[in-house]
Order: sequence, then C-alpha cells, then structure tokens
Amino acid sequence: MRLLRLWLLQIRYAATRELMFRASFFVWVAVELAWFVIQLAFIGVIYHHVDEVAGWNRNQMIILVATNQLVIQLFTAFLMPGLTKLPELVRTGKLDFVLLKPAPPAFLVSTSHLEIGPLANGAIATVVLGGAIQGLGLHPSPPEMLAYLGLILAGLLVHYAVLMGLVSLTFWIIRAESVLLGYYTIFHIARIPREAATGWFRVVFTFALPLLLVANVPASTLIRGLAPLPIFLFLLSGLLVAVLATAFFVLGLRRYQSASS
Amino acid sequence: MTTTLRALPAVFSLGLQRQLAYRWNYFLRATFSALPLLVSWVFWGAVFQGRDTVGNYTLAGILTYYGMMLIVEAVSQPSDDDFQIAIEIREGMLNPILLRPLPYGLYRGALFAAGRCAYLVAAVIPVSLALFFLGRATHLEIGSLNLIHGIPALIGSALLQFSLTLCLSLSAFWLLEVSALIFLIYALEFLAGGHVFPLDLLPSPVFAVVRLLPFAYEYWFPTAALCGNLTEAAWKGGLCLQYGWALFFMVLAHFIWKAGLRRYTAAGG
Repeated sequence: MRLLRLWLLQIRYAATRELMFRASFFVWVAVELAWFVIQLAFIGVIYHHVDEVAGWNRNQMIILVATNQLVIQLFTAFLMPGLTKLPELVRTGKLDFVLLKPAPPAFLVSTSHLEIGPLANGAIATVVLGGAIQGLGLHPSPPEMLAYLGLILAGLLVHYAVLMGLVSLTFWIIRAESVLLGYYTIFHIARIPREAATGWFRVVFTFALPLLLVANVPASTLIRGLAPLPIFLFLLSGLLVAVLATAFFVLGLRRYQSASS
Repeated sequence: MTTTLRALPAVFSLGLQRQLAYRWNYFLRATFSALPLLVSWVFWGAVFQGRDTVGNYTLAGILTYYGMMLIVEAVSQPSDDDFQIAIEIREGMLNPILLRPLPYGLYRGALFAAGRCAYLVAAVIPVSLALFFLGRATHLEIGSLNLIHGIPALIGSALLQFSLTLCLSLSAFWLLEVSALIFLIYALEFLAGGHVFPLDLLPSPVFAVVRLLPFAYEYWFPTAALCGNLTEAAWKGGLCLQYGWALFFMVLAHFIWKAGLRRYTAAGG
C-alpha cells in the first residue's frame, strides 16, 4: 500500500514535468502512431495475398497486433522511461540518490518517470481493437473483459522483466544503449500468432520467456473466450520472469561503484 | 584540397578507434538486429503454410531477402551519426571543426565510414551465425546471389543513407529537439524502404509510386539487387535513381549547412 501511494506520488510529479513540454507530446504521439501504422500496413500487405495465417484471419490478426500495441504503450507510459534511464544513472553515479531512498531500488528506478504520449497511442490502439472486434461481430462478456484487462497487466510484467534484465547489463557493460534495440527486436515475437510457432521456438517463448503469450492470451480471450490453462500459465510465468529479472538487477547492484567522494 | 584529402585517413582512424572502444555495444546491436530473422522464419513459415508462393516469392526467396537485408543494414545503415551531428550543433561544439580546412560533410563521411567498418567487424560473427543457422533450418537461395548487381547498389545505399542522415540532423540548426523527426523518418524508411516486407509485395499501383521515392533505394533495392531479383534494365534504372537521390541529398545538405551556419552560435573557448 505504501509503495502504491509512493507510485501515485511519482506519477503526479512526472505528469507535471511532462505537461511542461506540450509540443513534444504531440510529436511523439505522431512518431509512435507511425510505428503502429507500419504494423497495420504489414497486416494489410500479408492479407492482400492470403486469407489466413496460422488460422488467424485479418480482423483476428488486428486484435492481436492492437493488443500488443496496447501493452507496449502502457509499458512505455509507466515503466519504460524510468528503466531506460538506468544505464545513465549507473554511468554517472546518480544511482546513489536512488539507493539512499527508503524504498526498493528496482521499484524506484522503474516508476520514476512517466510519458503521457503513449497513453494517447494506447487509446488509438483501443479504438482499432474495438473496430476489429466489431468487424468480427464479437460481444465479449464482462468476465472476459475483466480477464483481458488482467492479462494486459501480466503482459506488462513480461515487458518489465525483459527490459529490466537487459538494462541491468549496464552493471557489466559500460555503454549499454544497444540493449534497448534488443528490447524492441525481441518483442517482435509477441506479434506472432502462437499457432504459427512450432518446436523449440514455441517451447522457449512460451515457458522460458513467455513472449508468445503477451498478446496471444489476451487476444484469444477476446476472440475465443476464457481458457483457464493458458491464462494461469501466463500469469504464473509473467510473475516468475519479473521476480527473476528483479533478482538479476539486485545481483548487478553489487557491482555498482558509487561516484560520490 | 590535398591537405583535406590527407586529413581524411586520420579522421577515419580516429573514428575507428572511438567506435571500437564500444565494440561490445556494436556486437550487441548486431546480435539483436539478427533476431527479426528468427521472427521472419517463424511468421513467414506460417504464411506459406499450404502455398508455394506469395506474390513472386517462395519461402526460401523471402527468407533470403531478409537474410541479405542484414548485410545491407551492416554496410549502409548509420548508427548514431544523426544524434552525434545534432549534439555537435546544439551544444556549439562545431568550433574545432570549423577552424580546420576540412569540409564538414567529408569529415562526417569519414566518421560514418569508420563507424560502418567497426560495426562490420562486430557484426561478422552474429550475422554469419544467423545466416548459417537459417540456412540449416531452411533452404536459402544463396546460389542466386548477384554480387555484380549487389555491390554498387550497396555502396549507393550507404551514400544515400549518409546524405539523408546529414540533411535530417542538420535541421538541429533550427530545431531544439531532432530525435522525434529522426524517428519519424526511421518509420518511413522501414515501411517505404522495404525493411518490413519486400516492396514488390505491395499492390502494383502502390509499388509503382513507392519505387520512385528515395526510401526504396535504402533497403529494398540493394537487397533485391544482391538477391539477384532484378532484371538488368531494372537494376540499371534503379541504380540511376539511387545515385540521383544520393546526389540530391548531398547538394541539399550543402545548402542546409550553409544556411545553418548563419544561425550557429559557438559555445566555449
């Protein structure tokens, strides 16, 4: 409860800071929107040639991609801005200020910043999602909608785990900016329909690093209804990778050398 | 002029040393850039399920396209040259360069070449491994590679990407923050450049328009040339457009630089 109150305070402070740069807000909304349009254009091109991919038709694929976009935008709004600052905090020694505060450092690092622009793009993704749901003639029940929202939160945990794991490499590598590229590229996997993946790829990215579940499980819940086993598996694996990533961060902290005199 | 040319190898050498200091960063970057190949293999495998061709492509053909794209990226894609130029302008750090008898474009060109060489060194292992494993997992159309078409197109792509980057980053003379503009153009380059899918999969009227734009000559054209997907006439026509666009952006960069210098305020001693 104390952490939640602290988080809300951090959000209020970060929002005030963000709203000082209103032009930047609109420009970055346009940038993020452009990347979403690319994904929709890709779907458009694929379905110009074929009717279905791994059993997913065009509207189902749009639900998958829009769900993935929604998770990404929520993550980019609330957790990513703070996490990406970690390499700089370590390099400059400013992590000292975080370590001195009476709260878990992983929590403080990941919640210290907020970006409002991605929330607008999350809203756009929701509109696209709504259009695809209507296109399929789906009427998700309240429990399905509730499960969908819960699974979006589990998706945030997986994103947190991957980025926290990658930025924590900064304790070993001097310049770790490229890890951000790693984060962006690894999440290409989340946009693939799970049925398209087979063999070791499916096993690794379902059980070891559940990237294939991030958008697939919530999207399937909307399209095909509640399926307890994949939902349970996703919640469990999301929680597990988040704990492991935090442990990796704590391990890295031991190597941190303060810059203070 | 001779002094200028003599200075370039020194700039290149300095740039190479600076870039190699961050070789792990480049190694990670190259490793991660090979990852989408894995995704393409899985996704396109599902697209081709039950069919032999999609557009003009077989599964092997499209995977070869994505594989060759890694080489095109390694040779021609600027790393952080755009942000470095923008910082030099914004923070008034151009002074030492302006005092030397060395045109800024050539100076940045030597640093770009050094960056590409350092990246190639770091990328050799991950890119080779990615292509090797992809070749083991599926059939790649390596036999149809055309280096005679591919190499000039690769050089053209590097020139085009560098000159476009220069134009974009020189906007820092007027804009306080250029990263949003740079990311917006990245998005355009990815979509209209054939990075996300081969451009010839687009409906014919759209493809006819897109192939006139400069972006098509950054990724799609060199990759298609390298894969041996272009006829002799299409290659020659494409090469003319590619080098034409590169020249256009170089001239444009020259004028932007001249105009920008009038606004530039030096900082520090």
